[in-house]
Amino acid sequence: MAQASLNQTEQNVYADVYRVLLAGMIASSALFAVGLIRALLRPQSIPLTTDWVKQHYHVSTVLHGLAHGDPTTLMMVATVLLILTPVVRVLVSIYAFWVDHDYKYVVVTGIVFLVMVLTVLLSHFGLQ
Amino acid sequence: MLALFSAACLAGFCGALLGVGGGVFIVPVMVLIFHLPIKIAVAASIVSVIATSNAGGSSYVDQRITNLRLAMFLEIATTLGALMGAVLALYLKEWVMLLVFAGMLAYMAWAAFTTRNLDDRRIATDDFARAKPDRLSAYLNLRGDYFDEAAHKEVEYVVTSGPLGTTIAWLAGVASGLLGVGGGVLKVSAMNRYMNVPMKVAVGTSKLMIGVTAAVGAILFFMAGLVHFAVVAPVALGTTAGATLGTLIMNRLHSVSLKWLFAGLMAFLAYGMVAKGLDIRFHLHLPNPL
Repeated sequence: MAQASLNQTEQNVYADVYRVLLAGMIASSALFAVGLIRALLRPQSIPLTTDWVKQHYHVSTVLHGLAHGDPTTLMMVATVLLILTPVVRVLVSIYAFWVDHDYKYVVVTGIVFLVMVLTVLLSHFGLQ
Repeated sequence: MLALFSAACLAGFCGALLGVGGGVFIVPVMVLIFHLPIKIAVAASIVSVIATSNAGGSSYVDQRITNLRLAMFLEIATTLGALMGAVLALYLKEWVMLLVFAGMLAYMAWAAFTTRNLDDRRIATDDFARAKPDRLSAYLNLRGDYFDEAAHKEVEYVVTSGPLGTTIAWLAGVASGLLGVGGGVLKVSAMNRYMNVPMKVAVGTSKLMIGVTAAVGAILFFMAGLVHFAVVAPVALGTTAGATLGTLIMNRLHSVSLKWLFAGLMAFLAYGMVAKGLDIRFHLHLPNPL
């Protein structure tokens, strides 16, 4: 009985993790491809500076870019989706372990998530 | 951009044939052939590493080869390492990073043909199931099993040496954050050699961990403005395509000469990185073949 429920548990977590990885992969690859093709059709010179990259970090710029199918915005959204896929995978795993009452692993996976939060906080407040 | 895409395809393809991520090849290619600053190259590589991890990792998860618990546990060490490595990367000088990367390439060239696969014998004798777990591994219930298609049997294994494995995983995380590579070689060898994990499980578990580890580095580089979209797009798409193709034909190719070839290539790239690093720092012009 215990063995059966454990197997059931593992099946759930595996299936959830698989779905997240697949969805993230397909969505970001498609956006990268569209952005890349559009960029090749409309070649322009792009400066290789961090300032140029950062000037796209505004909600209004992103919305405007998406509305016009701007290649840079498409590639940026694809990048963000790609980076978020593992983060979502970790969150989904925490939830799946929680539902299965595997609290030891809720803690283990929670620590991994905290490291990610720490990274965001550090780069927002602590660095440069 | 098209050239970068093709180069990334090739890098991903070579990486998959050798069982490493594309990062090891694509960063030197971006630096030496496309003359990109190494920090932008590393940032683009780390994002593309997430892409290949999603692609490769998902199929191992689907086949239940990945050990999810082991992955989650070791990810604590790899993500902390990646955070430290990426912070270091932000502050290190360009030439120092070139030399460190060259050092890693040289190590990998050496490791490429010293790796031997003793798995078949151990699977046949159920050796993996007999090891004694240490207290940490036992507490975290880090055992597992998977169906080995080549051996046609269910392989059970007990995970050992949790603390040592964790330390090596941390080191792999530092390498990942600092140099924009997956660090799979370190993780796989740590799990297989020291933690009593069968090779296929080690590879699948490592592939999954790489995504989360790389995400930490990617977040930091993204916030610093180093993730350049026009570079990331061709590199991420290219390495994914190349890696997928490489994985498909990898099982049919098993020649020692292939390993020699890649070891030579890595030694060559290592030399290129050293030459560039010395040029930037000391204006020392070593002969540059590229």
